[in-house]
Amino acid sequence: MKLSAVRPITTLVTRELGIAALLLLGVSFVVFVILYLSPGSPFASIVARIEMAAEPGAAASAPATWYSQYFIWLKNLLKGNLGNSLRTGLPVLQEVVRVGINTMYLTIGSLLVTLLIAVPIAVFSARRGMTPTGWLMTVFTYVVSALPVFWLGYIFIYISIHRFGLFPLAFGSNAGPWNWFYFMLPVLVLGISNGTVSEVVRYLREEMKRVFDEEYIVTARAKGASVWKHSFKEGFLIPITEIIAAKIPFILGGAVVVEQVFNWPGMGRMAWQAAQDRDYPLIMGITLVAAILVRMGSLLQRVVLIIVNPRASRE
Amino acid sequence: MRRFSQYAFEIGDVSHVSFWKKAGPMDRVYIGYGLLVVLLVIISYVLGATGTLPYDPQEIDLELIMAPPNTSGHLLGTDFMGRDMLSRLIISIQAYFLPGMLAIGIAIVFGTCFGVLAGYWGGALDIATTYISNLLNSFPRLVLILLMVAAFKPDIYYIMIIVGVTNIPVVASLIHSKIQFLKQKNFIEAATSLGLNNVAIIFKHILWHNCRSVLIIQATLGMAEAILMETSLSYLGFGVQEPTPSWGNMVQAGSNYFMQGKFWPSTAPALAILFTIMGFHLLGDGLNNMLERKGDR
Amino acid sequence: MKSLPSVVMIVLIMFCLAVIPAGAEQREDQFPDGGALNYGEYGRPATLDPITSNDMISLRITELIFNGLVGIDEKQEIIPELAERWEMEEDGKKYIFFLRQDVTWHPREGEDAMPFTADDVIFTYNIMMHPQTITPLKVRYEFIESVTKTDDYTVTFILKRPILNALAKFSFKVIPQHGPQNTEFLNREDPFVQSPIGTGPYLLKNITADREVILVANDNYFKGRPHIEKYIARPFADQNIMGQALMFNAIDMIVLVNHRDIPQIQGDKRFVMQPYNALSYSFFGFNQRNPLLADKRVRKAFSYAINRQEMLDSFFNSQGTIISGPFAPGSWAYNLDVQPLPYDPEKAEELLTEAGFARNGDGIMEKGGRKLSLTLKVPIAKESEAVKRVVLAFKNYLQKIGVEIEPEFQEWMSWKEDIFLHHDFDLMYASWVFDDSADISSLFHSAEIGAWKNNFGAFSNPDVDGLIVEAKLTLDHEKRRTINRKLHETIADENPYTFLWTLTNYAGYNKKLRKVAIHPYKFFSFADEWYIPKSEQR
Repeated sequence: MKLSAVRPITTLVTRELGIAALLLLGVSFVVFVILYLSPGSPFASIVARIEMAAEPGAAASAPATWYSQYFIWLKNLLKGNLGNSLRTGLPVLQEVVRVGINTMYLTIGSLLVTLLIAVPIAVFSARRGMTPTGWLMTVFTYVVSALPVFWLGYIFIYISIHRFGLFPLAFGSNAGPWNWFYFMLPVLVLGISNGTVSEVVRYLREEMKRVFDEEYIVTARAKGASVWKHSFKEGFLIPITEIIAAKIPFILGGAVVVEQVFNWPGMGRMAWQAAQDRDYPLIMGITLVAAILVRMGSLLQRVVLIIVNPRASRE
Repeated sequence: MRRFSQYAFEIGDVSHVSFWKKAGPMDRVYIGYGLLVVLLVIISYVLGATGTLPYDPQEIDLELIMAPPNTSGHLLGTDFMGRDMLSRLIISIQAYFLPGMLAIGIAIVFGTCFGVLAGYWGGALDIATTYISNLLNSFPRLVLILLMVAAFKPDIYYIMIIVGVTNIPVVASLIHSKIQFLKQKNFIEAATSLGLNNVAIIFKHILWHNCRSVLIIQATLGMAEAILMETSLSYLGFGVQEPTPSWGNMVQAGSNYFMQGKFWPSTAPALAILFTIMGFHLLGDGLNNMLERKGDR
Repeated sequence: MKSLPSVVMIVLIMFCLAVIPAGAEQREDQFPDGGALNYGEYGRPATLDPITSNDMISLRITELIFNGLVGIDEKQEIIPELAERWEMEEDGKKYIFFLRQDVTWHPREGEDAMPFTADDVIFTYNIMMHPQTITPLKVRYEFIESVTKTDDYTVTFILKRPILNALAKFSFKVIPQHGPQNTEFLNREDPFVQSPIGTGPYLLKNITADREVILVANDNYFKGRPHIEKYIARPFADQNIMGQALMFNAIDMIVLVNHRDIPQIQGDKRFVMQPYNALSYSFFGFNQRNPLLADKRVRKAFSYAINRQEMLDSFFNSQGTIISGPFAPGSWAYNLDVQPLPYDPEKAEELLTEAGFARNGDGIMEKGGRKLSLTLKVPIAKESEAVKRVVLAFKNYLQKIGVEIEPEFQEWMSWKEDIFLHHDFDLMYASWVFDDSADISSLFHSAEIGAWKNNFGAFSNPDVDGLIVEAKLTLDHEKRRTINRKLHETIADENPYTFLWTLTNYAGYNKKLRKVAIHPYKFFSFADEWYIPKSEQR
């Protein structure tokens, strides 16, 4: 990397971090308001309310006003304390980081799978135009993007059990030689059917075509230089990082379902449980971490953009 | 501001060119298939609304639970309550039709407003809309919906409102970049110097002539997303609730028997989802290609 | 190769025996030790201590880790557990428990095992009753006036007034004084709730990343070391997958098999299906604040209109008992002379006509311009096929007698607010767990009408009120039985609920597990006697 590129990156990163902090503030505020408006007074102790099954009167009155609750939460956040889960009593930060790593593994893994499927197809059809093979592959991407993800998960599990005699349970205490396979399966399912393959193919293809047609590439081609080398940055790297940044929220959503099907101890499953328990410290923690993941994706995109095209930093 | 959006456009005033002639053979297939799906959706909607169905979709027959296809007049078999699958498949579109329109409407109306505000006037408005767009983008969508649905009511309209709201940034950024482009080409300057007022420029020249195709494509995609989202939520228990049929809750109910080797009850609605969503996607893709081919003239 | 480790094991066990002579006695039976039991649970436990926990998953685990002063044997009779024996004095106002002296708490890592004493019992009681401890148990122990320690191994409980079956209530699980960090009250932030120590047959080893709870045999268990070496509670998020996990040997047991999986597992010789009572009943409740439903005849018409047997056969493989009142069928309180109302739609229509209803143009029953068009509120669970079926069938049956039912599935918390707080419903569907004392005062006494109280339907009947109070005050078992039979009869006639059934649950497990006995509610009460033959331990 050229030295001159470093300075814009540092300014960019600091600026982006500032924006990210502002956004996280907004995200937490919105979630807090939703929780405040929801029935079942989330700010009373959840335990008291679970207990209502036995004795409904036990719901404690909500202490203080909602905005003072929010400020208390913010103050604790600055101290690095996200509170304790109302359901299990465990510290939220620790819990969310623990499951967040599993979700990150699932998310990144499935992004890779998506790209592994989409990129060759996109490159093929961008370079060759719409040949029958390219067309078939494109149609294939439409098909997989339109499958309900849990149903595909069931199909995979069914085949795994009945064809290979393997029961895909990752994270077991009795790990066997097939554990890698158990870890692969959910990643594969989410990667195939998070509904983004066809969009990725389409976008990448269009971007590459556009770049191939640009003057500098045409010139390069006329000179006999490698088109690929010249178009790599603009036609490939930038679109891919853009896709990654834009699709992280979708994949996190798909993870909620896949984690349930494959018994994956991740953030989505925890969010599902927490939303029903109104476990508000945990919900806040999860949305915060999820939003951080999303912001990280967009930061990556900006950084790549700056490296490839330093002029963009001045925009 | 450059951001990933589903389509890259060649931009310009293209209203006077006949699209269909420019469409390549593949695009015609895409659009043809897409239109066929849209037609089928509309037909199903009308059939459902007028009650022209082979069976009453709510009629329960406890003697005939989970019947395989083509049993005693049930062409696609029956579900876990002995209700006719085909009728329920057809009437399911009603669960999506109006709510889906709502989602699309929200995304397009607000997205257009934001896009115009940010792109046309810029400045502080640009910063504000960018912030709001980024904020909406920072939520993992399904988690947000889960939260809202668990907190309030598992109602398809609630779900669709959020799908719509979270799609606002996509539309906004498309409109925004289009206006930026038009500005670069001095299009707006020219229009202003011709004495056109802002309202005419925005509505007639920017939105109508330059953005309508973008908006149509966004609408087809929005419908597809709405259906997939409802399916995922149905699996989690918060989709469209019984007794209202939706493809999502039909796949969910049928998949309870998947592991026992009864594939059909979940496959039929899953295929319905598959073909419909493919239709919307292909329609969008075909339209896009067709519009873009303008550059090849 | 294989024999060597087992030799080492035997030596080790004998060594342990030598060190702790009092606690660890070898079991008299000759069944082999060792092996692991993986069992599947639908969901994850919240906390693992017996006080703050309130879900069934936690309850089952605490049953393995802790003991009560008294226990219950397979014939539902009370047996000594932590208390060796007891005496009752002053006509049942005073209970003296003499504790075992050979009991030790599970040792924490790097610490020695501490002995169990009377202080722990008093500590547990105080923690349980502390106002800042949030526990569902509190209401159950309000009958106790005070607890005192006579010596290290004798505890005396004074009751506010003598109550029937008081002894059974002393089966509450005892926690150690040195367990929780906070020695005054227990909340979920205390580390103890996630890493409990008890006196039971199994001790908590660790909780994995997936919140799999791993328990290992307590060598010093006072009833003798349990046979199975390891218990692993594995949480599942999808019941279909859990069923398959059993079929394909990824787990060895499911504590509660989904009804739709029963035929498949039952037909498989590798598995045993063991029935046990659900100890709960399902019902449709009426909101009598709605003037249309205040008429007994209308409520009864609903019960006549539905075919409970058909539902039970079609949805639950006929695994259950149709009930006519709020007591556990087969228990002393249940009145077998009261028959459940038969399926008789004509009688139902007759009753509605009698109550002044007539079909309008749309075929819906109407009276004075008010249609019998009612909302039915049902809570959502992710795995709720059975609930959906019952609700849909109910709607269908009632449609035939001209009643329109609008089912509304709601998220649990908002459902609870609508039912218990706003009373905004016409009909509701739910289940109650049977109380072991057969006390139904909180459900049907008119004093229990109000916000967050259990008589959500505003049922009020002076006869029932009187009988409930009478049943509470009497100490004579026979007399109480007579009152409860009367109560059952009156409630069945008044029909505040349409009582449905109590289901038979099934535990499904691999044949390799032997001598499996199941407590219907606590499940693992007898788990220390289960074993796996040597040849099938893997």
